[in-house]
Amino acid sequence: MAERPVHEHIKDLSNSLVILSDKVLKNFSLSMDALMKCDNMGCSQIKLADGEIDASEVRLEEQCLIFLALQQPVAKDLRAIITILKINNDLERIGDLAVHIVERVPEVSSEFIRQFDFQKMGAIAKEMVQKSIQAFVNRDRELAEEVCDMDEELDAMHRAVFKKVSTEIRQADVNQTTQYIVSMSVSRYIERIGDHATRIAREVIYLVTGEIVRHSEGSFEKLIESLKD
Amino acid sequence: MQMTAVEKEAQTSAAAGSSNREIFLPPERQRIKDGGTPHVSAKNFSIFYGNFEAVKKVTADILSKYVTAIIGPSGCGKSTFLRAINRMNDLIPSCYATGTLMFDGEDIYGRYTDEVQLRKKIGMVFQKPNPFPKPIFDNIAYGPRLHGVKDKKTLEEIVEKSLRKAALWDEVKDRLDRNALGLSGGQQQRLCVARTLAVEPDILLLDEPTSALDPKATAKIEDLIEELRGSYTILIVTHNMQQASRVSDYTMFYYEGDLIEYAPTKQLFTNPRDQVTEDYITGRFS
Repeated sequence: MAERPVHEHIKDLSNSLVILSDKVLKNFSLSMDALMKCDNMGCSQIKLADGEIDASEVRLEEQCLIFLALQQPVAKDLRAIITILKINNDLERIGDLAVHIVERVPEVSSEFIRQFDFQKMGAIAKEMVQKSIQAFVNRDRELAEEVCDMDEELDAMHRAVFKKVSTEIRQADVNQTTQYIVSMSVSRYIERIGDHATRIAREVIYLVTGEIVRHSEGSFEKLIESLKD
Repeated sequence: MQMTAVEKEAQTSAAAGSSNREIFLPPERQRIKDGGTPHVSAKNFSIFYGNFEAVKKVTADILSKYVTAIIGPSGCGKSTFLRAINRMNDLIPSCYATGTLMFDGEDIYGRYTDEVQLRKKIGMVFQKPNPFPKPIFDNIAYGPRLHGVKDKKTLEEIVEKSLRKAALWDEVKDRLDRNALGLSGGQQQRLCVARTLAVEPDILLLDEPTSALDPKATAKIEDLIEELRGSYTILIVTHNMQQASRVSDYTMFYYEGDLIEYAPTKQLFTNPRDQVTEDYITGRFS
């Protein structure tokens, strides 16, 4: 199979996406560390890095749009560019959520935060993002499906936090109410990061197969089921 | 051949033919308003130039009132297949066909087929505009006169109707007596379409109709195809894949005489099923 400059260009865009994902994951890790240590010192650094992530996202989107306009790709080349555009957007949102997490750090104490398993939730979310990007690089459908399955565990943990907070906040001291709400928000942010990783994984499945698997059969039923809990 | 069994027979033929490739018959055929009858049906249809098999055992249905694009590299057999539909290849002494090629239930290569009547029903427009060195009016009236229309008023009506359908009327209505060679390239090509429409064909065969035209004239021809969609069965051979994706409902991809893939255009250009198609349309051909 002959590779042409146009295909080298797609590889360059893919590499830019992987570099962006490294930046996002690093920022997310820093944000989780700051949360677990209740250390607000790194907040400005994380926000600064998020500014760079935003700029990279815009730059990559511009490059993709120029590529679409000038090269008019079809078939798997078209799917590759569309996938890069969508993953790019998801990564930027993950970057924002990392900032949201660190912004809540001043409102909670480390003792309070330790009653929730945010360490594990963060680790799962990070692994999901890493694996979804790895699935993109290797065009690995199975790994992408594994990421989709991992999301259920993260959702279950988020629901457990929700239950705990909704039960305990009623008897809680007024001074602790804010901390419960912050914990609920942090849980939600991490769960959203898992959702973005799942979206990335589904985009990879589209890239590999050409099938759009979002809103696939059963997802609505699962949602209704989870609300019953 | 029973038209209602075409699909089943096609699949059987594809499995039994020299090629092991799956033939992708359009899945939306049942939506055709005229009852699902394919307009042109090829079954194990081959075309030879002497010993060379230029089109190899093609089995496919061309659907009525849809635009079908034919793409593929030079020498793949796409124009040969197109020209076979109104027997233009008969002009080449060494050329002959095997298998069957049906048009509205009639064998195109049947012993008693009237080629003149066939070409009246299946009109063709070529790569280079080829108006007759005559007035615009006479160019359009040429076909109807040949088929016996003599009444001046009737001819005037046909000329106006054909030029309107070809989106050329407004540009030439005040100079119908001028020589057609004085028109621009794009206008000449639309004149050729109008000339074809004047004999009320069922099928339009367009063999790279815009390859000699500038982008503006090309856009007008593409707009014209859009206008004619639904009224005629249109087949267009084109090297311009963006054009194929813009104007057609279905696309056939030929490679070295084989019909590699035949699918709805939106599928073929987003998620082709055959690796050869994928390599060709993404420019990965060595």
